[in-house]
Amino acid sequence: MRNDRFYSLKKSDLQKFIDHLTKRLTVFAPVPDGRSCNYRKLAQGQRVIIDHCTNTEFPPKSVFLPEGEVLLEYGKGDRVSERTPDDRAAIFGIRPCDVHALLVLDKVMLGHDRVEPHYKKRRDNTLIIAVNCTRAGENCFCESMGTSGLEEGFDLLLTDQGNHFHVEAGSGKGEKLVSENRKLFTPARKEAKRPKLEYKKRIDTKNLPGIMMKMFNSGVWEDVAKRCGSCASCTFTCPTCYCFNLVHDADIGDLDKGKVVREMDYCMLPRFSRVAGNFVFREPRTERVKQFFYHKLVYGKRRDGKFHCVGCGRCITECMAHIDITEEAKKVRDVYEKR
Amino acid sequence: MRKDDGYKPMMARVTAIVKESPLIKTFRLSFLKKDDGKSFSFSPGQFSMFSLMGTGEAPLSISSSPLEDKYLEVSVRNVGNVTNAMFRMKKGDTIGVRGSYGRGYPLENLKGKDILIVAGGIGFPPLASAIEYMLDNRDDYGKIWILYGVKEFDDLMYKKRMKRWSLAKDLDIIVTIETPCTEWDGCVGNVTELFTKLKINGRNTAGLSCGPPVMLKLVTSGFRKLGISDDDIYLSFERMMQCGTGKCGHCNIGDKYVCSDGPVFSYSDVKKMQEMVW
Ligand SMILES: Cc1cc2nc3c(=O)[nH]c(=O)nc-3n(C[C@H](O)[C@H](O)[C@H](O)COP(=O)(O)OP(=O)(O)OC[C@H]3O[C@@H](n4cnc5c(N)ncnc54)[C@H](O)[C@@H]3O)c2cc1C
Ligand code: SF4
Ligand code: SF4
Ligand code: FES
Repeated sequence: MRNDRFYSLKKSDLQKFIDHLTKRLTVFAPVPDGRSCNYRKLAQGQRVIIDHCTNTEFPPKSVFLPEGEVLLEYGKGDRVSERTPDDRAAIFGIRPCDVHALLVLDKVMLGHDRVEPHYKKRRDNTLIIAVNCTRAGENCFCESMGTSGLEEGFDLLLTDQGNHFHVEAGSGKGEKLVSENRKLFTPARKEAKRPKLEYKKRIDTKNLPGIMMKMFNSGVWEDVAKRCGSCASCTFTCPTCYCFNLVHDADIGDLDKGKVVREMDYCMLPRFSRVAGNFVFREPRTERVKQFFYHKLVYGKRRDGKFHCVGCGRCITECMAHIDITEEAKKVRDVYEKR
Repeated sequence: MRKDDGYKPMMARVTAIVKESPLIKTFRLSFLKKDDGKSFSFSPGQFSMFSLMGTGEAPLSISSSPLEDKYLEVSVRNVGNVTNAMFRMKKGDTIGVRGSYGRGYPLENLKGKDILIVAGGIGFPPLASAIEYMLDNRDDYGKIWILYGVKEFDDLMYKKRMKRWSLAKDLDIIVTIETPCTEWDGCVGNVTELFTKLKINGRNTAGLSCGPPVMLKLVTSGFRKLGISDDDIYLSFERMMQCGTGKCGHCNIGDKYVCSDGPVFSYSDVKKMQEMVW
């Protein structure tokens, strides 16, 4: 590993670095929100508490696919224009699992020979300043998904070393940030020391897509569907769930004017697969439950070469029915092996 | 279409309207900008997104020949919000078009074969485009059968076009209506019942179909009984679509996206799909 990209940042200098960022950019960072934390735009000079919670309640995907984002604007005389976001931003304090989630979204939004230009613009214009975790949350299982560390996907990566942060620059943009703040960052030679974290949950991913495909009609899924209330919280909080609708929104005062906006949609809801004539392809709840679990643990891997589950545990935390993807993955493997 | 384009449509003008039936209209469209007309291309079975600003978008298949460069035609069944607004369009009105998207019928690979086309209801438009294309290149294809089934007499479309097609050499058309009525003295019943009337060499025939899910299922088993190989069966699927470009996640069947891997799939590929397809 090249060590000319390693630096050290005193903890007492962190806020100076944040202030440098907020002066120039829109900065999103985890901010205490009730018992949890959520990404918010920082005000200039706003203090950042880096370890208030393990990870945010809601994922950072809203920075890149904001709810209600205006995609098109139209007016009289067939005028239609594409709106391109030009915010220069930084996301500070994003955790490894959520950076992996962005790499998954990249596969979808930038891959398969077609680029989603709005997402691309936000990705290009947003610095990723990631922070390694010092403890695992109740429902985290990133280690078993291979997403607990980062080799790519960040501009800067901070690791807590007690009195200072070890900082790794992962890109030219990251190096530039360091050089703009020469007084705060001193070169370091060694790699960061990372303690081994204790995880309460895990998924055994070995041959999991193959096993699940063979278990497509297993009763395990009906059993999940019996408990599931189709509230869509799991899809709402999953950092890799990206499905959306294009919604036309006419100006009430002047119907010739209006916009087309992106609204997130959720496969757990019946309307998601509804076509004309009120035909719903995934009418039985079991089919919707399977769509979620299979997208995360099978389809994503097959289509994009990456599991669309990064082990953040949010769907477990949010599910009012206590449905736990790690438990269900285990169950399906057990049933398969005992066949 | 450029690969990094967003959702901005090209604008086209309605230059002619044919009322096919009480529920179906065909619109002839020309792009307002010459460049758009030049850059726009499609192959039969692909689809495009048609939009009325303020109302919404709908995926539609172009039914005219891909070789026709002056205009394109779409046929719309009035079933909901967007299609209803389209139904109210008049000559001179404008409509947004973006595309083309997805994969159509692989007509280039089917040269030399006999072609059996089975259309159900509003599934006819993409197949009509395929027929126009094959008639434009008549010598490249063998015998062509067209079976077309609708529920009610009022659903019948392309009466004029079918008359024109029926004059082509080596082409048979059979139309059937499920619900008997006094206006109709042709075949009555399900379109798959017509298969018994066909004398087909299945080995050298490709089966192309588009229609409602239940029909596709019956048609596929009919094709197979005729001896058509699974590689030569091409089915066009319908799913909820928002983006058309593989980004919005609405149209998947398992790990396949109907908007970009389809909407036309060979039955060999359909067999591998784990999710319920019909
Ligand atoms: C590949 C493809 C080709 C098609 N070709 C034709 C054609 O040539 N002629 C024709 O009449 N119809 C065609 N359809 C069906 C047509 O797209 C729907 O009838 C139309 O979208 C219904 O929209 P609506 O707003 O009028 O209906 P509503 O029921 O009011 O629709 C409400 C919402 O559901 C979505 N929606 C509803 N049905 C569909 C659907 N089937 N596919 C995708 N989204 C849907 C709409 O985008 C809208 O957001 C095709 C569908 C597909 C997938
Ligand atoms: S499926 Fe659950 S655990 Fe996996 S990434 Fe999504 S929210 Fe996190
Ligand atoms: S959060 Fe739980 S109850 Fe809600 S849709 Fe997801 S699995 Fe079902
Ligand atoms: S229509 Fe959006 S992914 Fe297929």
